[in-house]
Amino acid sequence: IGLPTNSAQECQNLEVERQRRLERIKQKQSQLQELILQQIAFKNLVQRNRQTEQQANRPPPSNSIIHLPFIIVNTSKKTVIDCSISNDKFEYLFNFDSMFEIHDDIEVLKRMGMACGLEVGKCSAEDLKVARSLVPKALEPYVIEMAKGPISNVYITGGSSAN
Amino acid sequence: NRIDANLVSRHKDLQREVCDLTEAEEQLDELISKCTLQLRLLTEDPQNKKLGYVRCQDLRKSFDSPDQLVMVIRAPPETQMQVTEPSEGYQVSLKSTQGPIDVFLCPEDSSGVC
Repeated sequence: IGLPTNSAQECQNLEVERQRRLERIKQKQSQLQELILQQIAFKNLVQRNRQTEQQANRPPPSNSIIHLPFIIVNTSKKTVIDCSISNDKFEYLFNFDSMFEIHDDIEVLKRMGMACGLEVGKCSAEDLKVARSLVPKALEPYVIEMAKGPISNVYITGGSSAN
Repeated sequence: NRIDANLVSRHKDLQREVCDLTEAEEQLDELISKCTLQLRLLTEDPQNKKLGYVRCQDLRKSFDSPDQLVMVIRAPPETQMQVTEPSEGYQVSLKSTQGPIDVFLCPEDSSGVC
């Protein structure tokens, strides 16, 4: 093998490259997981609403529902909120005198249990069955992995074996 | 000699690993873009759009603290939201370019009406 004289250096470079890729893969895995969660949560929500509407034989009154997408801002009732709004309602400015939280709709869906507990890796056998049925085959390994608990290490699902 | 042999095998191992990781990353990229597309199609489907809602009582239950005020913001796409550093006070600004923004409070009573 024609190993270059600076092969020690090259090993080091590869080591750095390896670390960098591992980091990126980790990030992309959580990105993919989030997308899967969103897909499952949304499908569950739609299914639930469809069933409820069928049972009730009519859609719920429009003033009792909030369509996605939305954002939630919650704070203590004691918080004083100062709000200015432009006339056309294109611009808002809120001043809170205390802490607040911002959540997206997906967070609400998760709290409603629409993600089958996958978001925290707490998934009953039944939950997992439902979750698996809501994603395409290619994503099932990821769902199974998520059901086992929060992911800390990089894992590689089938198909990418050595050489 | 031995050191060289070690180095050679380490070099080889690393090369293979990086190669595997490259492949794994490409697979992930592909899945991510497929998944993004699926999600978009799913949420843009008119039938799903109609059924993609939460009830006010869902919201109340999700932020189930009696002392919490829950504000709902519905804004057109590409609306910008800016939040100040906590050290500079608690301020949120919203700026839309494509239409008015809707803000309302989630009711506390059991009427279920927003």
